[in-house]
Amino acid sequence: MKKILFIVLSSLFLVNPVFADLATNNAIQTRIDSIGTRILNFNKIQKRIVFTYDEHNKSDLKRKYNTLKNRQIIVYGNQYKSAQTDDEIAAMLAREISIVLKSYSGMWGGSIDAIQVALSSKKFETVADKRAVDYMVKAGYNPLALIVYINKTCPQKRQDVIARHNLTSKRLARIYEYITYKYPEYLTDNEYINNQYYQNFLLNSVENRQKLQIKIKTNSTGEIDYE
Amino acid sequence: MNKCTAIFLLFIFINSYVLADVLPYNYNDTTCIPIKLSVTEELSTKNPIIEGQNVKLRVRENTIYNGQVLLKAGETVNAKIETVITSGMNGFPAEIIIDDFEIPNVKDTQLIGVYRKKGQNRCLWVYPLKWALTLIPFVGSLTNFIKGGHAKIKPNDIITIYYYPNW
Repeated sequence: MKKILFIVLSSLFLVNPVFADLATNNAIQTRIDSIGTRILNFNKIQKRIVFTYDEHNKSDLKRKYNTLKNRQIIVYGNQYKSAQTDDEIAAMLAREISIVLKSYSGMWGGSIDAIQVALSSKKFETVADKRAVDYMVKAGYNPLALIVYINKTCPQKRQDVIARHNLTSKRLARIYEYITYKYPEYLTDNEYINNQYYQNFLLNSVENRQKLQIKIKTNSTGEIDYE
Repeated sequence: MNKCTAIFLLFIFINSYVLADVLPYNYNDTTCIPIKLSVTEELSTKNPIIEGQNVKLRVRENTIYNGQVLLKAGETVNAKIETVITSGMNGFPAEIIIDDFEIPNVKDTQLIGVYRKKGQNRCLWVYPLKWALTLIPFVGSLTNFIKGGHAKIKPNDIITIYYYPNW
């Protein structure tokens, strides 16, 4: 009897962590599905997009391949761990949704556009950021979370002249400009003003924000050369 | 008295739970009416366009629902320029995206129809050319200077959006 009890208890001890892992993954998957589907429904996006959580850490290239080819948004562990709030997860998913949608338009079932997005990543990076802001606003999320999420997760490279990606500081400044013009209410009634990550962005973007202030004052319509 | 309060509190709790579970949309109905519009003035990425800028659109033909005229031909409605994508290197075309249509007596949730207009996509011949030229050192990079076409929305371009009256 004691032996049986010992075996049962020890097997429970061994099995439990597996179940705990499954339960954690299931909870994360449910959260991602819920936020992703909310963005799709509120924006009335009539294209099928699937959200999958993968606890393993994979490269950006692998993620992009799945996004453009399979219209499947895979959230890897290394991305998820930096998204603390629903707004930040929405920011992460909204960007991917705008990239997937590009693969649905154009010739050959969107293949040409998908290749263009993959090759002209710098150009489309800005577009994806802007569309993400729109999707977030329509789904009831705060677009400033996109600034917070990018500020936390994307490193600052030395230059972007010979590079496939924009400097993160430029991306952040462009998103801030986009919100300033299109959704100024989020800046006047700023929920993120006491958020330390947002304050860190403000601290790092003083020069770029000064440039934007000059653009607003002079009613200029040209593109700002952000740093 | 305590029982009454308890029942009342329970009712509020259940009610708030049920309310929280009701979605603010219901896409069950498939009834849909197309609304045909066109811009009153040409829009082009050659000229300065600001994202969020208002656009005036003219209704091209009468829109009828349930025997009643919803919109008369010639009426003007508003929309917004959602995003402007400027043309880029290697023939990447410019693009204008129009959304946020405002139709009188129609809720935003009842409309579907983001309108996109692209410029000439030169990537189709620029990329093969680029790859052919890469055989000669540094020459392939010259195609970076070939830009894509500007996006233009002309007054005779038809912009169709869809009105779902039961959404």
